[in-house]
Amino acid sequence: MKDNTNILIIITWGILLASVSVLLNDMREFDFNQFKEFQNWAKTANKKESWFTSKNAIQWSYYAISAGLFFWRGYLIYGFSYFLSILKEIENGNYFSDKNIKYFKKIGNIFIWYTVNVLILRFLLAAIGKSTFNFFNELKAEFTFLIPVGLAFFILAEIFKRAKDTEKENELTI
Amino acid sequence: MSIIINLDVVLAKRKMRSNELAEIIDITPANLSILKSGKAKAIRFSTLEAICKALDCQPADILEYVED
Repeated sequence: MKDNTNILIIITWGILLASVSVLLNDMREFDFNQFKEFQNWAKTANKKESWFTSKNAIQWSYYAISAGLFFWRGYLIYGFSYFLSILKEIENGNYFSDKNIKYFKKIGNIFIWYTVNVLILRFLLAAIGKSTFNFFNELKAEFTFLIPVGLAFFILAEIFKRAKDTEKENELTI
Repeated sequence: MSIIINLDVVLAKRKMRSNELAEIIDITPANLSILKSGKAKAIRFSTLEAICKALDCQPADILEYVED
């Protein structure tokens, strides 16, 4: 079992490092200087002009939403890092510990929050770009599978909670 | 709990020590302590049988029901 855990830890580290490097590369390619341009524009803009419809505001909104998407991707990677904590608990022989139950719930929360927020940001992006936003088409996207996965982690947390009680009861059976 | 364990009383009557009984019935002294203190959730028939055999007594001598 310990060998399997070690292999899983190595795989998890590999996935985490790959995800972080992809995210960092995307951020590097993203032009953050646009924010500075927006700040300059905000200082010199004509106050009488309608703010929401101006080209700069729309462009800035686009970049702000893109930055938001980066944040949620980082949050998802943070969620993945909990797998390492679970594997560490398993390695120590604490299969049905309170910590594992807590980690499963956290992972479930993070997966669901990520999907909901990315859906909202995608809707806003579509609204800014004046393109059509088809909710059902968005639901077909791969990332939305994280909602059932998140729910599965909540169910797993409940199963582990029951298993912990059973284990405790078994330990107190003489 | 309304089930009282009178193992201490039977042990005293037989002039036997807890560790000695634990060794005879092949359970750890820690588990016997859990049983004696009433913290145990359940007792296996095999354990009960071993205790009765070792102490030459009936289950009723060890277990007693007291209404809450």
